[in-house]
Amino acid sequence: MTTAATPLDDATLVARAKDGDVRAYEQLVLRYQGPIFRLAVKMLAHRGDAEDVVQEVFLNAWRKLGQLGEDAAFVGWLYRATTNRCLNAIRARKPQADVDLDTAESPRSDLQPERAAQVSGQLAALNAALAQLTPEQRACWLLREVHGRSYEEIGEVVGANATAVRGRIARARAQLAEVMKPWR
Amino acid sequence: MAMTDYELPCERDVEQVWERLDAVGAGLADEHELTCAHCRAARESLLALREATAELVVEDDVPPALFGRIMSAVRAEVRRGSMVALPTPEPGSVEISEQAVAAVLRYAADTVDGVRARRCRVRPGTRGGVGGVVEVELTLAVSLRNVTGGEALALVRERVTAAAAARVGLTLAKLDLLVDDLFEEDTVEEDTVGETGE
Repeated sequence: MTTAATPLDDATLVARAKDGDVRAYEQLVLRYQGPIFRLAVKMLAHRGDAEDVVQEVFLNAWRKLGQLGEDAAFVGWLYRATTNRCLNAIRARKPQADVDLDTAESPRSDLQPERAAQVSGQLAALNAALAQLTPEQRACWLLREVHGRSYEEIGEVVGANATAVRGRIARARAQLAEVMKPWR
Repeated sequence: MAMTDYELPCERDVEQVWERLDAVGAGLADEHELTCAHCRAARESLLALREATAELVVEDDVPPALFGRIMSAVRAEVRRGSMVALPTPEPGSVEISEQAVAAVLRYAADTVDGVRARRCRVRPGTRGGVGGVVEVELTLAVSLRNVTGGEALALVRERVTAAAAARVGLTLAKLDLLVDDLFEEDTVEEDTVGETGE
């Protein structure tokens, strides 16, 4: 819907989608389904579950678009919704998860990531190690290291302050690095 | 700054090694870093992690059917909005959704170089009972190239008014233009996340 070749900015697309413009929303889905799907897959280690979460996130975002105060904040909103839905899905799998989130381990054999697309041993090791982190740690690490979100934003998602988030990511990084190649 | 309990036998923390990774890589290692085997081993692990992370970023392809699934769920809940009466010489009434009118008007505004239409509110005009008259409030983002002079806005006014008449058959009793944002050309990519998109 524009004469320029430049893609429209998020705020413009969100404003149009708020008016009910499905084509504008389509552009937003195309722009963000990739990163959002990748976050969900790494959180859940299951492509089918991840697809369900991504569909719910975008449908719910469409329904609640009117509640979004700042049009440019759309992408942060998507990340928050996706992370929360993934964490809820994981809790639903494992009802007794009422433990210390920072120290507990989650050795779940069925969280093994799918291997089909893995091209390197390092990547395989990283995927296996990710499944060993607590879901909250995994969320913090993924949002920061893969998706480049800010500590403040991640803190809002997981209900912790930026310092606590930094700590969780540091611990996650140390645990992951240890698996990559033991130094002891 | 031992943020973790992952302290190396040399008493440096893994996080410290991480923060110094690029500095050491650039040849700025301090005396300890040059000689400590623990630090070197930790650096190798962290570099391996960083490489694997870069692969992880691009690993999972989006299922081709996902987009279609999302959009059919969205379309099932399309908000049609209120209707506006169109003038007609025939008996009976003709109505058009405000949303459809908004799409036409936004498109007309978009044809002006350096202008992006955002929200468009269409309300029935004040001439009570008479169809075909509406009041429109159009929110715009304008390129920084355009901020001097009101030529672009005058052009928007002209084209939006013309499109309303020619393409929908509506007269604008009132057209409010609100510039709520400025944008620089070619900066859109910075809005997206730090990874390759689709």
